[in-house]
Amino acid sequence: MIVVSLVLAGFAAVTLWWTMHAWRTPETLASTRFAAPDGEHRLTFSLLVPARHEQAVLEHTVQRLLESTHEGFEIIVIVGHDDPETAEVAHRVAATAPGRILVVTDTNEQKNKPRALNTALPYCRGDVVGVFDAEDQVHPQLLEHVDHAFRSTDADVVQGGVQLINFHSSWYSLHNCLEYFFWFRSRLHLHARKGFIPLGGNTVFVRTDVLRAANGWDGTCLAEDCDLGVRLSSRGAKVVVAYDSAIVTKEETPGTLTSLLKQRTRWNQGFLQVYRKGEWRRLPEFGQRMLARYTLTQPFLQAFSGIVIPIGIAIAIWAQLPVFVALITFVPVIPMAANLVFQTVGLRDFGLQYGLRTRWHHYARLILGAFPYALVLAVAALRAVWREYTGKRNWELTAHTGAHLTDQPVKAESGVAA
Amino acid sequence: MSIAEAPTQVIILPDVPVQPEPRPAPVRRSRTDLYVVGGLTAVVLFFMAWNITGFPTATDDEGTYLAQAWAVQNGQGLAHYTYWYDHPPLAWIQLAGLAWLPALLFPDLIAVAAGRIAMLPVVGASLVLVYVISRRLDLSRWAAALALLTFGLSPLSITMNRQIYLDSFAVAWMLAALALALSPRKHLWHYAAAGAATAVSVLSKETMLLTAPAVLVAMWQNAAKTSTRPWAFGGYTSGLVLVGVFYPLYALLRGELFPGEGHVSLIGAWQFQLMSRSGSGTVFDEGSGSNSLITSWLYYDTVILVAGLVATVIALAVRRLRAPAIAATILAVVALRPGGYLPAMYVVQILPFFAIVIAGVTDQGVRLLEPQRSWWRWAVLGVAAVTALTLVVPRWYDGNRRALTTDDNAQYVAAASYLRDELPDPQRATIVVDDVLWIDCVDAGFQREKVIWFYKLDLDTAVAKTLPDGWRDVDYIVSTPALRQDPGSLPTVTKLLTNSTPIATFGPQDGRIEIRRIDKEKP
Repeated sequence: MIVVSLVLAGFAAVTLWWTMHAWRTPETLASTRFAAPDGEHRLTFSLLVPARHEQAVLEHTVQRLLESTHEGFEIIVIVGHDDPETAEVAHRVAATAPGRILVVTDTNEQKNKPRALNTALPYCRGDVVGVFDAEDQVHPQLLEHVDHAFRSTDADVVQGGVQLINFHSSWYSLHNCLEYFFWFRSRLHLHARKGFIPLGGNTVFVRTDVLRAANGWDGTCLAEDCDLGVRLSSRGAKVVVAYDSAIVTKEETPGTLTSLLKQRTRWNQGFLQVYRKGEWRRLPEFGQRMLARYTLTQPFLQAFSGIVIPIGIAIAIWAQLPVFVALITFVPVIPMAANLVFQTVGLRDFGLQYGLRTRWHHYARLILGAFPYALVLAVAALRAVWREYTGKRNWELTAHTGAHLTDQPVKAESGVAA
Repeated sequence: MSIAEAPTQVIILPDVPVQPEPRPAPVRRSRTDLYVVGGLTAVVLFFMAWNITGFPTATDDEGTYLAQAWAVQNGQGLAHYTYWYDHPPLAWIQLAGLAWLPALLFPDLIAVAAGRIAMLPVVGASLVLVYVISRRLDLSRWAAALALLTFGLSPLSITMNRQIYLDSFAVAWMLAALALALSPRKHLWHYAAAGAATAVSVLSKETMLLTAPAVLVAMWQNAAKTSTRPWAFGGYTSGLVLVGVFYPLYALLRGELFPGEGHVSLIGAWQFQLMSRSGSGTVFDEGSGSNSLITSWLYYDTVILVAGLVATVIALAVRRLRAPAIAATILAVVALRPGGYLPAMYVVQILPFFAIVIAGVTDQGVRLLEPQRSWWRWAVLGVAAVTALTLVVPRWYDGNRRALTTDDNAQYVAAASYLRDELPDPQRATIVVDDVLWIDCVDAGFQREKVIWFYKLDLDTAVAKTLPDGWRDVDYIVSTPALRQDPGSLPTVTKLLTNSTPIATFGPQDGRIEIRRIDKEKP
């Protein structure tokens, strides 16, 4: 009992430590932002937008991409041969900007995002390949910043920030938004620094030659983004992460709890697949391998502790354990509760950075929803394990409604990108 | 559409040199500070340790805390009698962790004397922290050294810091919290640790909570104009609350949080201490308890108390000195408030803050004087320094000579050795003592249950139950000044004293210790 509690407390403390990476000192926070661009456009971009049954949001996304202030980019929209509605939208938009937009048809029988991306890879002519989802809201100045980031840091990969915005939609969307906030604002920077990074699914930019040398994406993996990051880090690619609330790519949370559960199951299962593939074992340093092991199994550890800690406390209270032992079972709660305190501060910060009003009931949702949300994550983790071991590896797509497309003005966090 | 049609503009320009990322300012690393603080702390600890067993007189409080630490060491719970949440227990849990070593190294010393040696590392930590805080408040090296020496060598400080008080632990932790809140790197985890240290401090001695605002002010100032300030306070709150909550949690798990029939409780103890405890009178009222207590502090050292008060008022106006000044102000105002209860060791808490503001105000004065500008400014500084030294040195010399030479505990040592060597058949006898000699009696072979702290005879029903025949079940009573302090307030003790005859007497009249055999045949 004591050992389990202390181990769980250790895990929770390490996770908290890493989650708070960016805010450790004012200097680390400053270093997580994009440096001010020099206004020069020297790289060319091929922006991949895979779209599947997303005719409702695709046009808006591509139009936003066309507003980019960068001069050298092409957009490649990938549609399925069995999806005429989206293809129709894609071709119509492509006709408005001939030369800028290319539509590629994916004829794979089994459709998923990595296969779609691989279909488009031979058509890419830019120096850098960027990936966006069909529902993304991309800032026009993003490419300029990324261009500068590639040149000034000599990076092979640049991961830009992605942020879920619609925290007001439901109780779980608030937690989902904060998860993204802490992940892209803070945790990914630590991974980039340590040389092991599971990349995000979009707003990720890779030098085309590096991507081709790595044979593109893994068409069988449910978390192709994570997998690509792991393979590139294992080969020693330099990854730079930059987050700037002003030019972050905005997304929406899944519309229903079920779709959130499915999405999370897919990610967790993907992490599990990446873990089992074992590419991370090729990382040169022991510390990196431990970080990889820990990160890839974290959803499951989290699920485990989310269930075990309350049980332990219940036993401590009802089973009349010695007071000392009972006190120890409460130790893992310390980092978890601290996490909640930091999330409260994070919610305030999030609201300030995105110019969104955070009201008292949002904070109430944050506190009250913490445990139910942990339960949802735990269920997703268990579901992922179950699906992986029963061999169900198909792609459960998340539907998008466009809840984030409300064009609210964004307050710049730093003067850099105003 | 084919790829060939797509015109992509490519502008080729020469490479830009790689821009280095902005690096944090290098942390000031100087070995000089290490040597200064190490050397001065060693000197002060030498004075602290010399004759620590002989001066000042062992007090009942010291014995109580040490006996509670003894209970923790021996797995008997948090106290040698029922723990009733009078103080949070963390200080004597720490004491238990320290006190076993001197007890092992010096078996011939009486328990309280050996326990005092365990206080030396605690005071040493406070000394180092006073220096670190002073440096982090941007005091010059000489001023930080002045703070350390003022805190360390004031006769009042030497007297109080030698004794086994919970306050010394609380002070060390609160100073640590202050030093962490002033972290030059403004690190999130330093702030969280500051919160945890604050909680440990308050759980060592609850009154230390009064100085927590100083830590908050220090943090507020230190995190000013940084992007991480809200996070800093989040970290501090987490540390403070999540460590602090374990105390009520302990009470809750034992079913002793809320008052109820037949058991002690945390909230009940708070109610008693905040509402029912009688005050010790107003300081300005001659003859009151508070007045005589402050007079006794002034007797040991007027300098640090008067200079500290004056410096505190000035330091409130200086931004960098505001945090320690706020701590000193709150503590002083609470001490001088009319009608409150003033504990005997209260002054321990205020001394380090007084020392820091005295040194800080001196530093500020020298900076304003700018002596390097002309010779006469140097002369003014020299005259001021010589005047201060002539005022301070003779007083401190007298006070510390007394601390280094007087042996006030000889009668306790003699009584303890008599109890150990001369008293027949200790295994079966029941003895009533004060808390100073409690552990020594247990060590001498008395049964733990049959060594009774005199206080408990009349106030603890559980103890009264172990004596079915009342006072006639007691074999010996050791009469000490502490036991005779409030004559008549404890009827059983009074009865024991009247119905007994001394078999051994030690010490001069006013500090007399008598070992008395109970005359059970008396009516």
